Amino acid sequence: MMSGRKLWWSVLVVVTVFYAIPMVAMTRFAFQRVPVIKLSWSNVFDKWTVAPIGETFADPNFRSSALLSIGLSVATAVLTVLLLVPTMALAHLRSPRVRRWIEVSAVLPFVVPAIALVVGFAGAFRGTAPLFIRNPYGMVPLLVITALPFTHRTIENGLSSIDLRTLVDASRSLGAGWNRTIWTVVAPNIRGSIATATFLAITVVLGEFTIASLLLKNTLPLYLAYAQGQNPQGAFAVGLVLTAISASLIGITNGIGRRSRR
Amino acid sequence: MNRSLAFLSVTKSFGKTLALDHFSVEVAEGELVSLLGPSGCGKSTALRVAAGFENPDSGDVMVGESSVLGSPANERGMGLVFQNYSLFPHLNVRENLEFGLRVRRSSAAVRRARVTELLELVRLSGLDDRLPHQLSGGQQQRVALARALAVEPRVLLLDEPLSALDATVRVEVRDEIRRIQRGSGIATLFVTHDQDEALAISDRVCVMRSRRVEQVGTPRAVYRYPATPFVARFVGRVNDLAVVVRGVGIVALRGSTSGFPVPQSGPSSGDARLLLRPEDVRVVGLSDDALARGRVEAVHFGGATTSVDVLLTPSNQTVRSTDATRNVRCEVGEEVGVVFDTERALLTREP
Repeated sequence: MMSGRKLWWSVLVVVTVFYAIPMVAMTRFAFQRVPVIKLSWSNVFDKWTVAPIGETFADPNFRSSALLSIGLSVATAVLTVLLLVPTMALAHLRSPRVRRWIEVSAVLPFVVPAIALVVGFAGAFRGTAPLFIRNPYGMVPLLVITALPFTHRTIENGLSSIDLRTLVDASRSLGAGWNRTIWTVVAPNIRGSIATATFLAITVVLGEFTIASLLLKNTLPLYLAYAQGQNPQGAFAVGLVLTAISASLIGITNGIGRRSRR
Repeated sequence: MNRSLAFLSVTKSFGKTLALDHFSVEVAEGELVSLLGPSGCGKSTALRVAAGFENPDSGDVMVGESSVLGSPANERGMGLVFQNYSLFPHLNVRENLEFGLRVRRSSAAVRRARVTELLELVRLSGLDDRLPHQLSGGQQQRVALARALAVEPRVLLLDEPLSALDATVRVEVRDEIRRIQRGSGIATLFVTHDQDEALAISDRVCVMRSRRVEQVGTPRAVYRYPATPFVARFVGRVNDLAVVVRGVGIVALRGSTSGFPVPQSGPSSGDARLLLRPEDVRVVGLSDDALARGRVEAVHFGGATTSVDVLLTPSNQTVRSTDATRNVRCEVGEEVGVVFDTERALLTREP
């Protein structure tokens, strides 16, 4: 029988190896100018290069899809914050019932597959508002919904950690209206949560495939899937860079969380 | 411009729970009125109704001559200080004080002058750049008071502002609030469950019990002439003695036969309770004309406020006296006599 500590360590090692092997393999495939069938222990340090990234960047298709993805991330993050902070703050203050209702609907994207969401969305708006479907930014509401399970929880935690009622009452008694109260009193006091929600929204958008694919929008993940055939090294290289960006966003988020808790 | 604040028969319920029942009280210009009562009596609800955080079901709230019920909280011009520390944690002292002025679009020069003046008023000059968490509890509440005063409110509402503070700081901030309130002449409503606080700070005290006003009067009047047994018991300390009514205006301690006179109001027969302030109980020597006898059970030495507990025989009840005459030896175990000064006593059936 293994002791708890040993078990803990072995699980950690197994999981790390499970994730590390593909990452290492991807890295070597993307950044070593060695034919893939010849990759072995003997040439671990040979012919490393970052050229595949440059090659990918040179592709105008990449640039347009990257710009679209960045635009979508920012739009999604902004809309998420604009919608969630006031709505959830009001629900906290006014109605525990509405708060529970929001909580339940926020996890629905886990339950309802993205494909159902898109089919419904497209079916409803193709006839009535075709522009909405045609414009890539029409996806933003869907992306906000997809990110909701993560962003909602983060904002919820932020709001629960402050004395919301007293702060709001104090602000109102000093003459501030709702808008001013939400954005100059509540928001700064949950800025850690807002930053985390923003990063999570960006991460979700940068990795979202189903919706973009079904609506035929050329986002970064779609480009990467397509480029795997054309320029597999470049696709993997950019994929790794994206992973690194997401990982560091989450790292920054943790840092913010720790600082704002002090 | 200072104004009076008046509640006119305000009723408020949350769902099926009644929180205020035809509540009426008036705070005159420059006056400080305490709402005093046990928790759940509706005193905080009254304040929240005045502030505009809750809407009453019926009744009216007036400031000066006009009703404020039509205006939202942010347009009522009421200064509030809360029980919980309510300073904006992300703003420093100066920015907290400036908040209301910024909302009113005061110029930078006006804001600067006002902040300096307010910090002087609450004796915290030089702490402009501190963040709230760098201040002590007492300092935070003083800044909160200054912040409420910054916008020159028509009425000041204080919701148990001292209850989160240590005993010594509490007295200090209490006196500070009183000094500033006197100086500014703002009608002030002070919610508290602490009777010492209410008696010390108020022009008038409004004692509340289960959503209604029980008595309104000066601290002295409420203490000396409680209108109801509840007020007598809740405000200040009271000896709550079991007695048997022998006839109109005559009672005897339960288990004793010697009757003594009491005010003629109240029940005229049967068991009752006699409520008597400790200063109306005098400890005398055995040779004196004692109403009852007993043995000293405990002496609580407090300098000027020394009190003595006497276990009465044969009725087996303890009375407290703060009027142990100096010529009587009051030591634990000593046999003494007791005299009641029943002029202001209350006789009631209410247990």
